[in-house]
Amino acid sequence: MKPPSFDYFDPTTLDEAVALLAQHGSDAKVLAGGQSLVPMLNLRLARPAVLVDLNWVAGLDYVRAENGHVAVGALARQRAVERAAEVRQRQPLLGEAIRLIGHPAVRNRGTVVGSLAHADPAAELPAVAVALGAELVVAGPSGRRVVAADDFFVSYLTVDLAPDELLVEARFPALPARTGWAIAEVARRFGDFAVAGVVATLTLDAQGSATDARIGLFGVADRPLRATAAERALLGQPPDDARIAAATEAVRAALVDAPTDVHASGAYRRHVAGVLVGRALSEARQRAQAAG
Amino acid sequence: MVQMAIPRGKWIGVRVKRVEDPRFLTGDARYLADLRLPRMVHAAFVRSPYGHARVRGIDVSAARQAPGVVAVLTHADVAALPPLLDPIPLEGLKKTPQRVLAGDKVRFAGEPVAVVIAEDRYLAEDAAELVQVDYEPLPAVTDAEAAMADGAPLLFEDLGSNVVYDQTYRFGDPDAAFRQADRVFKKRLHTNRFMASPMETRGCMGSYDPGLGELTFWSSTQMPHMLRFSLALFLGIPEQKVRVISPAVGGGFGQKMTLYPEEIAVAFLARHLRRPVKWVEDRRENLLAATHGKEQIIELEAAVSNDGTLLGLRSVCIGDGGGYSFNTASALVEPQAAALLMPGLYRVAHYETRVVAVVTNKAPVGAYRAVGWTAGHTARELLFDEIARELGLDPAAFREKNMLRADELPYTTCTGMVYDSGSYVESLQAALKAVDYDALRARQAELRQQGRYLGIGVSPYVEPTAWGSEIALQVGFPFPSHDNARVSVEPSGKVTVAVSTHSHGQGHETTLAQIAADTLGVDLADVTVLFGDTATAPWGMGTYASRTAVIGGGTVALAAQEVRQKILTIAGRLLEADPADLVLADGTVSVQGAPDRSKTIAEIAIASYFDNSVRAAGEDPTLTATRFYDPKATYSNGCIVVVAEVDAETGQVRLARVVSVEDCGTVLNPMIVDGQIHGAIAQGIGGALYEHLVYDDSGQLLTGTFMDYLLPTTTEVPPIQVEHLETPSPVTVGGIKGMGEGGLLASPAAVAGAVLDALAPFNPQVEALPLSPERVLRAIGKIAD
Repeated sequence: MKPPSFDYFDPTTLDEAVALLAQHGSDAKVLAGGQSLVPMLNLRLARPAVLVDLNWVAGLDYVRAENGHVAVGALARQRAVERAAEVRQRQPLLGEAIRLIGHPAVRNRGTVVGSLAHADPAAELPAVAVALGAELVVAGPSGRRVVAADDFFVSYLTVDLAPDELLVEARFPALPARTGWAIAEVARRFGDFAVAGVVATLTLDAQGSATDARIGLFGVADRPLRATAAERALLGQPPDDARIAAATEAVRAALVDAPTDVHASGAYRRHVAGVLVGRALSEARQRAQAAG
Repeated sequence: MVQMAIPRGKWIGVRVKRVEDPRFLTGDARYLADLRLPRMVHAAFVRSPYGHARVRGIDVSAARQAPGVVAVLTHADVAALPPLLDPIPLEGLKKTPQRVLAGDKVRFAGEPVAVVIAEDRYLAEDAAELVQVDYEPLPAVTDAEAAMADGAPLLFEDLGSNVVYDQTYRFGDPDAAFRQADRVFKKRLHTNRFMASPMETRGCMGSYDPGLGELTFWSSTQMPHMLRFSLALFLGIPEQKVRVISPAVGGGFGQKMTLYPEEIAVAFLARHLRRPVKWVEDRRENLLAATHGKEQIIELEAAVSNDGTLLGLRSVCIGDGGGYSFNTASALVEPQAAALLMPGLYRVAHYETRVVAVVTNKAPVGAYRAVGWTAGHTARELLFDEIARELGLDPAAFREKNMLRADELPYTTCTGMVYDSGSYVESLQAALKAVDYDALRARQAELRQQGRYLGIGVSPYVEPTAWGSEIALQVGFPFPSHDNARVSVEPSGKVTVAVSTHSHGQGHETTLAQIAADTLGVDLADVTVLFGDTATAPWGMGTYASRTAVIGGGTVALAAQEVRQKILTIAGRLLEADPADLVLADGTVSVQGAPDRSKTIAEIAIASYFDNSVRAAGEDPTLTATRFYDPKATYSNGCIVVVAEVDAETGQVRLARVVSVEDCGTVLNPMIVDGQIHGAIAQGIGGALYEHLVYDDSGQLLTGTFMDYLLPTTTEVPPIQVEHLETPSPVTVGGIKGMGEGGLLASPAAVAGAVLDALAPFNPQVEALPLSPERVLRAIGKIAD
């Protein structure tokens, strides 16, 4: 478990980092928290010729509340984001999702943006980004572009990022008024990648009808999924138990191809995703009603 | 015969803090990986990527030319070395020779095929990738029953079968017992393959002095003297010119009580290259190629009368031994141990068992804490839960009814084990009381009304310990087993204890010092315990099978007793008193009734070594004694109760409580006993719920990292409550019994039993472990194929 040899660069500015990526292209890998990349290097599953270490670039470790969203910089550690007042007040779902990642030692190093760029389909944060409609800011040789989370995640460990581009910021919309939220997952042990997981938000109007419903699924496909049919089943009505049951069935209907691995079969994932959707929606409903 | 008592002073039985811990806790302990020698080079093994394949050829030319490479060796280079074989002399047990580096065939993924030596480990791994092995993949067999079938792919063609042992033993009249039974209950259980995961993986380093013809070999081993004997034999070096040193060893659990091909290869290379060679196993290698454990397929039948009296048992225990019937104790190490302890602490006069050992295309199976016993105990206890449910009996009451009472001990089981003493019923009752069993049953009923599923698992156990010659025979592995200690009071009055047993986390530097300190009446801080170096330790077998408290403790007590007599003899002459009238305590010998007539141990020692006037002519001036001990068999016991809550929608399990009542006879240090129980139960929780070495049909290990091989962590292991009962053994020195394994022997049954008890309203059916969330849901029919 020793990595093959590689060249190491430690740029101190973002422009330098992007220039290095432009120079080395797909031979290069970006190192931030290293919680996925370093084990993959040691197992020789990743064999980049070049590592571009972002950790010396100044000004990327921020968490900011601005323009109706929470902006998280590329070097903000998960632990810092989890604890940030901006997150607790404006987007508590994000903080709660981070709490389910690994253990504090992992979160002290791991970054929110790194988890998004790595795009493990069983990770919490990509599903949070998709469900909330996060915007992802990408820097490249020709400047910056903003990608919707929905378009960013392509498939297993694959995202809409060119070899010379860098994900520099994630913008999570703040929770709207009268909105409840929840995250529920089954992991084999606390902190493991989920066997199946659900994030949900539910926004109610003054009469208690759902005006917005967002459901993100993780661990059940090759990328985080938005459960759109289930969301539609909830809109325009009070989210009573029958509506939630309908959403549950819609989720199960959409997951006929859920993957099988050593931890669970597709059949289990499909079953339990339904259970978790029901639980997450009930909890979100409770929070939404309390917030109203 | 009541054995010698150990004098009791300030230390035995006290929660003394472990004297070895400061160096472990501050990082000052030196493990194998910390050792460095001038000109040292590093080994990386090339391992088979196939579960079963013929090796048609190996091209090492590119690897030999890679940067920093010193040597690349294959089977052709080490063909003169003899193969590894198990040492068990049992009729009908077939031998499966294992080459140090695979020859024409590989039999499990991870088997060493070549070894690369380079200036550092990085370069060695780079070059290992360049070794070109021409494999012809063969059909693999990864299930023990499939391996027994006609036409199964054969691992050893010359044996004509994958079955290396298949014998049926009958005790009493089992056919009559089953004819008389009102009911016969059956259970099949495929226990999961899991493994010891010591924090420190394997590793070794060899250094050869060509001038002296001496090999010094450091290894993370549990058995330094046995390793020395083997290395001398394999390499043809005279045994007195081999020195084995085990530095700080970070856990063994049985995985390091064996001879590994990697050890022989590294020792060979150190001599061959005339340079120190070091190999530190990484975790991936440990999961792939260190011994696995615990996997059996057990079919069990119980003959029972309507009132719940157990009349007899029948079992078939099939051990899945992996690619070789390994040299720990052969592929029988699991099924033979399971079969012979199957009656447990219950009254079973009639029993038949078929013991089968099979080779398959998986890593070899060796000893792992409570080897064999975990699987057999788990199968029997889960069957007993099912019997109690079927008969409408409380599962604890059913057990108590069939359990041996104190007044029935000593008791010879139908398989020939002699239970010397114990507190079986008392331990069960104490454990039930600790959890307030009746109140828990009421709470269980109440919660079920709310759709919540709480369960209670009850697992009383007897644990063979003190692995000397007698118990080895009783538990089915006839192999002589004994040890030595040398106790010396030095001229300054300080005490050196050198033992052949080995400590790899158990705290022997503390417990063995407690025994010496009490026998010699000195302060614990004045005693140092040496072990783990064949140049300084007396000869012995090392540490495994819960043997050190009894055997190591016994040897220290016997040797210290002899030294105590020497001290009293010298003191009698110095004080002009009869040794029988002397009192030895607090580092001083004084005359009974006249405490001002006294000499310190240091004064007595100085006199003994340097004052010829206190000795008779020809008397030994040194205050030292070496004694061996090969104890009679002794058996510990206890009871584990687990309370679990199960989410019947997701299949997830939460452990609410774990209580362990332990009776290991004379308790040397309750804190260390607690630690053994905590660790063993954590491993049992892993085995019941999380840990599983999964292979695909071609023999690929699918759980090759700690991402997928799931050890329980602090978030999965609840607080563990330990209570002590103390029934001293009537047959061992000091009444000591061993106790290292009971927690892993009995806790998987308690955990799985609690889960299945919680789900009793669904009539759960389980034939395999671990109880993953999916297996839980399938057991109650919530998902189906």
